[in-house]
Amino acid sequence: MSAIRSKGALIPFQAASGGLMILIVAAMAFLACFALAGALGTTRIASTWTEGLAGAATVRIDANEDDRARRTSLVLDILRDTEGIADARALSERDVADLLTPWFGGTPDLGELPAPGIVAVTLDIENEPDPTVVQARLDGAGAGAVYDDHGRWRGKAARAARAIGNLSWWALGLTALAIAASVFLVISIAMVAHKGTIEALRLAGAEDRFVANLYQKRFFWLGALGGLIGSGFALAAFVGLDALSSVRSALPMIDAPYYWPIAWLAIILACALVAVLAARLAVLATLRRRG
Amino acid sequence: MIQFENVGFRYKRGPEVLQNVDLEIPAGSFQFITGESGAGKSSLLRLLYLDSMPTAGRISLFGRDVTTLTRDEIAWFRRRIGVVFQDFRLLDHLSAAENVALPLTVAGVREAAYRDNVTEMLQWVGLGDKMEVRPPELSGGEKQRVAIARAVVASPDIILADEPTGSVDPAMAERIMALFVEMNRLGKTVLFASHDLAMIEQYKLPITTLRGGTVASGKRASGRGAAA
Repeated sequence: MSAIRSKGALIPFQAASGGLMILIVAAMAFLACFALAGALGTTRIASTWTEGLAGAATVRIDANEDDRARRTSLVLDILRDTEGIADARALSERDVADLLTPWFGGTPDLGELPAPGIVAVTLDIENEPDPTVVQARLDGAGAGAVYDDHGRWRGKAARAARAIGNLSWWALGLTALAIAASVFLVISIAMVAHKGTIEALRLAGAEDRFVANLYQKRFFWLGALGGLIGSGFALAAFVGLDALSSVRSALPMIDAPYYWPIAWLAIILACALVAVLAARLAVLATLRRRG
Repeated sequence: MIQFENVGFRYKRGPEVLQNVDLEIPAGSFQFITGESGAGKSSLLRLLYLDSMPTAGRISLFGRDVTTLTRDEIAWFRRRIGVVFQDFRLLDHLSAAENVALPLTVAGVREAAYRDNVTEMLQWVGLGDKMEVRPPELSGGEKQRVAIARAVVASPDIILADEPTGSVDPAMAERIMALFVEMNRLGKTVLFASHDLAMIEQYKLPITTLRGGTVASGKRASGRGAAA
């Protein structure tokens, strides 16, 4: 008998409201992708900065040209004799000039700049020395040098990245909340239109969860489709940005394409699950309110 | 057994539409409920299909005080009660077969298991050729018969009918009555509300008369009713 269709047909859902729901979820999913990119990207930045600066230190030697060679040699002796320091190497004038190039342009003439001497230190990551102890040893020998393990910068950079990352996660959460609120609103309105049908179902013995399931199924697909469309557009945007090399280096998310399929699927699934959960809560709340 | 003890009922803050109703309906009996419009017939049935709860007194259904039922229990109880509403309450977006299958669908019965039952039920009410027709395309009598088929398809213990012959011609009314009598013969408890005293009196079955929300007169039904 072909007269009996699926359970989904029990509620006369309107195509227009479904289209609107897909549009809302798609827009939210698009924004969620960028929020997720921000969250994952800043986490990577924090980790890159922290790991990049870890295991290394520098010693700055403020000395005039005449005394610099002696003090540099003294500093190298002290450092090589310090436990936890794997290697110490004085940077040549050319190395220092290269470091300054981005700020001064061209190749700066160090003879005209009061540039300090720099010693690059490689630390034993398993056994990093206490910076205050190293500084005390340098001071004790009268080296006139400043030891910097980048701890201050590492901390600041990591804190800044974490703060931006947290904001991105909040943005992601708010996007999910917006989807849930939209579903709640759409269902509350739809249930007014479906009042007679719901009443007939309940009088036929339908439990609240049976009615909720009908809406959940519908909104699962609407959520998943909206998520697919929104994240699809976001993915296209990422691919477009990826093609711009100037943007690529500034967006670590784009620089890590292995994230994309996982993030894409996660967004679609999250949209569907948020829609289902919101649908269930909306239906149960409305049915209980009606008594 | 259905038992009303001193039952009162009012809609929100309105006047009492039922007062001090005492009623005892044994399982498997056939009971007419009659009275003029506004006497409380529909309200009494409404309490029985658990769409509302009494505001006074106690109703016992299947051995349980209905006011103690949880929402899920109310749903399960409703599966044991088939209702034919005065206004049919068919779903216009579903076919006649889908409407009839509704109680089975919500009970989680698979289509393959109830397909034949639904077909047979529609044939029984003379609508075997209208299975795929939707209610807006059916006549009043046909809608009524679809509603009857829906009420009995899940083989409920109790069948409630609210003016089921009110919108059909006498010949159809007689045919519909015969369906309910047949259901009663099959062991179902039938409560049939109608203001058509002339039609009711053709059957030698217990009658409870409501007047102004109270039981004016009634013959206690004993055991299974017998058709005239």
